[in-house]
Amino acid sequence: MFGYYLELAWRRCRQNLSMMALLVLTMAIGIASFMTATTIFGALSGQPLPGISNHLYVATMDARQTVDKDNNTYDTPQSLLNLRDARALIDAHRASAQFAAAQSVTTLATSDGKISSLAIGLMGYGPLMSTLGVPLRDGRPWTQAEQAARAPVVLIDSKLAQKLFGTTDAVGKSLQMGSQSFRVVGVTAPWKSRTQFLGLTQNSDGPLSQDMQFFVPVGAALDAGVGPISSGKCGNKAPVISFQSTDLGHCRWIETWVALDTPAQVKAYARFLDGYARAQHDAGRFAYAPHARLYGTMAWMDVNHVVPDDVSLNLMLACGFLLLCMINVAGLLAARFLRRQGDVAIRRALGAARRHVFAQHVVEAGLLGLIGGLLALPLTLLGLWIVRMQPVSYAAAAHFSLGVFAGLVALALAVGVVVGILPAWRVCRQPPAIQIKLA
Amino acid sequence: MRHIVKPLLRHRMMPLLVVLQVALACAIACNALFLLQQKLKPILTSDGIGQPGHLIVAWQIVSRGKPWQTSRLEETAQALRALPGVASVSVAGSLPMVTQARFSANPKAAGSDIQADAAAYIGTNLVKTLGLQLVAGRDFSPGEQHHHNKGVGFHESGPVIITQALADRLFPRGKAVGRIIHLGQGDNVAVRTVVGVVAHLMRNDFGNGKKLDLDYTMLLPGIPGQWPMPSFGVRVAETSNTRSVLKHVRQVIKRMLGTDTVQGIHPVYDTYAQLRDQALAQSRAAVWLLAGVTLVVLFVTLAGVMGMTAYWVQQRTRQIGIRRALGASKRDILRYLQGENLLVVGSGVLIGLAAAYLVNLWLMRHYELSRLPWTYLPLGAMLLLALGQLAVLGPALRASRVPPVVATRSV
Repeated sequence: MFGYYLELAWRRCRQNLSMMALLVLTMAIGIASFMTATTIFGALSGQPLPGISNHLYVATMDARQTVDKDNNTYDTPQSLLNLRDARALIDAHRASAQFAAAQSVTTLATSDGKISSLAIGLMGYGPLMSTLGVPLRDGRPWTQAEQAARAPVVLIDSKLAQKLFGTTDAVGKSLQMGSQSFRVVGVTAPWKSRTQFLGLTQNSDGPLSQDMQFFVPVGAALDAGVGPISSGKCGNKAPVISFQSTDLGHCRWIETWVALDTPAQVKAYARFLDGYARAQHDAGRFAYAPHARLYGTMAWMDVNHVVPDDVSLNLMLACGFLLLCMINVAGLLAARFLRRQGDVAIRRALGAARRHVFAQHVVEAGLLGLIGGLLALPLTLLGLWIVRMQPVSYAAAAHFSLGVFAGLVALALAVGVVVGILPAWRVCRQPPAIQIKLA
Repeated sequence: MRHIVKPLLRHRMMPLLVVLQVALACAIACNALFLLQQKLKPILTSDGIGQPGHLIVAWQIVSRGKPWQTSRLEETAQALRALPGVASVSVAGSLPMVTQARFSANPKAAGSDIQADAAAYIGTNLVKTLGLQLVAGRDFSPGEQHHHNKGVGFHESGPVIITQALADRLFPRGKAVGRIIHLGQGDNVAVRTVVGVVAHLMRNDFGNGKKLDLDYTMLLPGIPGQWPMPSFGVRVAETSNTRSVLKHVRQVIKRMLGTDTVQGIHPVYDTYAQLRDQALAQSRAAVWLLAGVTLVVLFVTLAGVMGMTAYWVQQRTRQIGIRRALGASKRDILRYLQGENLLVVGSGVLIGLAAAYLVNLWLMRHYELSRLPWTYLPLGAMLLLALGQLAVLGPALRASRVPPVVATRSV
């Protein structure tokens, strides 16, 4: 039966080619614009580290140590903390895992200085690697003892190891970073999060993340004169410093992240955080009431607008447009089906049940949808290509994948069927006698 | 009227689909056009810069560890000034179209409550280097120009030059020159005397949809202190070649400041024309996208309404024949169908306008967008009503040519 309906649909499609082209093209444009917008939105939203960042929370508080007359209010939550506070929070061990981190850019070189590379990485305090799930190829993370002794140890990713040493087997080798020689204790696989979520307030270069090429304990890095990219926010009485400074005693520049598994743990940690911040305020270290608060990864990304407004606006525009195309096609299909009421009436008179007529028309609509989807494929590729050509920070997110293709086919079929239901129902409701008479 | 409404109510599906489609198209088109206008603003606003091809901008000169000393910046500016073919040099905290570093403040007219959100460019010789057109008052004196600011410059008192737009806002009555504005509040307030007014100068914060007047700008004199990322502006003499001067500018800055710049961030040298082009590229791309979307929406709607109306009219061929037989003229039939279309599309437009407004309200709450000006609503309505009339014209003309004899067939 299904095959017969398909054949009927195909035959009818060929009868009125211009009408059919209009229908299919409208569907194709609607589907393609929707797919383009969702591909980009999908790449930029969602958990930055699936399965891991779901349990991560960032500590925020008003940790200013001097009064700032121009900005007495605390409108936006601040995740940047003084290293002293970050250390205190981590050394308290109140969460299941916790670390502090800040991004750094510096030159790493072989000991003889012959090969060097500018690299971006994380300076951290606490079990950064295991909490973030950075995959280790070789070696080990830095130990608690090395961290406490400010031992010059570093982990690099396999690409950087290849570049510097000509091999990924770099554990035990030495490299020059800042003013000191660091020992490589581990080699990681290339690693980055899907989107930026660490150090959001300092990075404004778009939502996409880069490979983190090295990981170094913060104490040893500062000793070697390697500072974070941005010195964050410094007290207004402190000496003014610029980028890559290590004179950070008065500055808030490092973020504290904690892993918490249950709502009860989150609640308990929030209470601990609030208690810590209040104690600092009472002791006179924090100049303002601290408003300490925990943010989950997604909430934090939301607050910092990681997904650019344009991307979500375009998605909404595309949704509206797809809906418009669907209503359009539904109307045109209804006109197309109802014009053939005569045929339907004869089929009905010859014994076809209503549901047969209904099924036949839905199959026809579904077929048109699929053809539309087929046409939407090159259009989607074109749309993504156009986005990649744009001077926007998220251009690299516009990539076609198998998932996108599967989504497209499913969407095309669904659009065809949904759009066909109303006209099909309308056409099978006509009483056959009147129609035969009209025909 | 009744003879139009009644048949519509009897066969509801087709008119209903048209209403739905028009409403949706209207809501999308109004909001897309509004977004488009927002993105178009920085492209169309006059930036006030004279001869953009003869202005070189060097920016992203970021110091490592400590901010630049003002004396060092001044020496660099002097070295640039000594280059052949250079007419004027500015060292500034930031310059127009340098979107990385932006200064803004809320200047308040002394003795009144009028306040504005304005951008500020702090630097030396800005009027001359940028080629601004002074419409009242004077430029800063050499002494004022080369003042070394202790901080960036906001907390110091002294002279200020503002744009005509900002002058009109702060001092709606009378001349601005000689008047006082206040920057900051409390005991931190800086008192600035307006010494000159320039025709235009665009701010480097495009607002991205926020309600900002792009021409509210101030010029503060002096070299910004405690500042890690200054820009240099170099005005090239009209007779000189910009390319070759740019090469020398690059060499001088590299020689004078290169040893203390941040690792991994390199200074950028552009002509102002190029810089403007890059800074506005994103807005331009968005304009094309939104214009494309609006056009496709309108086209799809036109095709849809046309297809549905064609069927809806064709179905009534016999009734039209009867009307013609009973004495209706061709014009009556045409009018009847056009009126019907006006009614159907009109009700769609009404729903669409309400939807457009609600969508805008929702967007305003969730994104940094401003309110849809009411002028967009009649504009959108006119557009779609015209579209509807265009769509019905073909089918209606065809229907009006139905001969009365059709009525006598197969009743």
